[in-house]
Amino acid sequence: MAHITINQYLQQVLEAIDSRDGLFCAELVSFKHPHVANPRLQLPSPEDKCQQVLEPPYDEMFAPLTPIPFYFTGHFVNCVLCSPKYNTSFLRAFQAHKEENWALPIMYAVALDLRIFANNADQQLVKKGKSKVGDMLEKAAELLMSCFRVCASDTRAGIDDSKKWGMLFLVNQLFKIYFKINKLHLCKPLIRAIDSSNLKDEYSMAQRVTFKYYVGRKAMFDSDFKQAEEYLSFAFEHCHRSSQKNKRMILIYLLPVKMLLGHMPTIQLLKKYELMQFAEVTKAVSEGNLLLLNDALTKHETFFIRCGIFLILEKLKIITYRNLFKKVYLLLKTHQLSLDAFLVALKFMQVEDVDIDEVQCILANLIYMGHIKGYISHQHQKLVVSKQNPFPPLSTVC
Amino acid sequence: LPGYEFPVGTCPGMCPLGELAQRERQGRLHRLELREGTRQGDPARVVKEYSRPAAGKELPRPQELRPAPVLLATVRYLLGQVAPQADLPPAEVHAFISDRLRAVRQDATLQRLQGAPCVALLERSLGYLLHAGYQLCQETPARFDPHLHRTQLQECFSWLRRCYQDSCHHGEPAFQALFLLYNLGFPEALRQVLQLPDPVRASPELRTALAVNWAYLERNWARFFRLVQALPYLPICALHRHLGPARRLALLTFSHGFSARNCRCPLTWLARLLAVDSPEEMAELCRHHGLTVLDGAVVFQKAAFRDPGMLVHGPSQLLVDSKRGEAPLLEVIEDTCS
Repeated sequence: MAHITINQYLQQVLEAIDSRDGLFCAELVSFKHPHVANPRLQLPSPEDKCQQVLEPPYDEMFAPLTPIPFYFTGHFVNCVLCSPKYNTSFLRAFQAHKEENWALPIMYAVALDLRIFANNADQQLVKKGKSKVGDMLEKAAELLMSCFRVCASDTRAGIDDSKKWGMLFLVNQLFKIYFKINKLHLCKPLIRAIDSSNLKDEYSMAQRVTFKYYVGRKAMFDSDFKQAEEYLSFAFEHCHRSSQKNKRMILIYLLPVKMLLGHMPTIQLLKKYELMQFAEVTKAVSEGNLLLLNDALTKHETFFIRCGIFLILEKLKIITYRNLFKKVYLLLKTHQLSLDAFLVALKFMQVEDVDIDEVQCILANLIYMGHIKGYISHQHQKLVVSKQNPFPPLSTVC
Repeated sequence: LPGYEFPVGTCPGMCPLGELAQRERQGRLHRLELREGTRQGDPARVVKEYSRPAAGKELPRPQELRPAPVLLATVRYLLGQVAPQADLPPAEVHAFISDRLRAVRQDATLQRLQGAPCVALLERSLGYLLHAGYQLCQETPARFDPHLHRTQLQECFSWLRRCYQDSCHHGEPAFQALFLLYNLGFPEALRQVLQLPDPVRASPELRTALAVNWAYLERNWARFFRLVQALPYLPICALHRHLGPARRLALLTFSHGFSARNCRCPLTWLARLLAVDSPEEMAELCRHHGLTVLDGAVVFQKAAFRDPGMLVHGPSQLLVDSKRGEAPLLEVIEDTCS
């Protein structure tokens, strides 16, 4: 197989198309397949050969052979620039398949290669300073979107033959791109398309896990923590047990969200997934130890920033204030607490030039958010807390 | 486009002669460009105007484009000579300057200017735009379009920040700090700033801007306004558009935190905390949000808080005007530049 001639290769393609063998056809297009390494297929312009054997638009579509030489010389930019042609010829063929969807695996292979090429091409261009980050990925996203439109608008076919089965795969590929180039707002219409689809619970579990992971991350960035928890938990629980790396990635986002909602991870869990960077943060938040929290955030700053969770971890500061102030309340055993007591606590935590005005602002915010039930009396410089449940459990607040 | 060479401008003056003649003929010279008491253009004052790139329009010839040194001289002329004009309405002067600065950026784009020459133009333009945004904050939208202004500022910021990625510039910390303050509270801006190289992030300018930003996100208003009061003129101009929303949010949190029928907060205390110019102005703001003011004190009640839109957010003596000083604008701006 690896060293067949171009004629043999195209003959196989022809048979695969005739017998509607999508999976085999996909293999023949994919750059993961060994045929890519076959020197006999690395022609500078295989279009003529393709035209002799295949009918249009398949002839153009199988010219992914063209990028092979580029691929081998590492010219990913050229690979991407070649793509629109194949993509549109693929789409033409794909659209012509009325009421059938056997070609979906081919689309998966083409889409996946395209995204990977674009990613590499981007890195090459940025290294050379020739374009800004994401130009190539954006181009790829446009092509994927046109595939998506074909799939989403396939309303006539029966459920088994519908191209709609391809939607979630494409959405996930697009999410990967949009998260990489920071265009999260573009995710919204895609999420809506999937949520309103009657197939949304029928897609393969792997695809659904990926989808929930990205939607959960997006909810987290939109500060919708309840939804983020729900989606990320689903992803974590249903992610295949052998995919430890993926489970770890999910946890990186699930942990801060859970912590904000008052659920602290165990040390065993952090150890199992090599996420000990969170250990001190966890300890600091649950103890109300601002000093330790600041230390932990500074120490692992690079890791947290790279993962994009630094901002959310900063939000844990509010929970930490709450836990610290609850301690003050438990120590003083009264419902009328002097503001000075809180100032002492904050100074003990070495909060830089904190004063009594700041204490009032922090308390006012905790009351506003529902973390403390009570009010501040400015005249008497006291916090008056409710006799019942003055510090409601976190899970009932956020 | 491989092999395509970008044009290099050769126009020696602020305005190509062709455009000067044409606009003179059409009577389209601005009064800031005329020779005193005539209808003739003064070559020392005429500046190339912005013209929209349109389909079918020919690419400008080199003699219609100004090279980098002329562009810089043009910007310095606009900021140094035109901006201080006191005898014309400020909105009109601004409309003139912002249009001509846009034309400067267009020339820079067409020649694909890069590095220090490009940074010099963008930094000065940004400094001016931030200053103007504050000075004109009370103008009607017909005379000063805040939307267009915001768009221009963000475009300049993103272009300048791309330039910084390519090479080191002395003004970077100050301008990254301005970027963060201008986009206060936007997670995306903060995320980008956090990813800056360590030396930039550790600079005093950015540390202050980050501290302001954290105080804002934590809603620690006492700290926020204390830090803001210590900011110099340009940073505070950049931040100015967020002061109104910050005070509104502060009153909202206080309405919950201090919510008790018998409790009072003195206006003087509140005005000092929120860096409002006078207790009277503070009272007006409180009443605007439905809160009762009695004998120089506010009665906070969470049910009373109303949100009838933002009060027109005017100039601030305490926070901004007091920082301006006597130095000419160009000098203030160039002190910050690379």
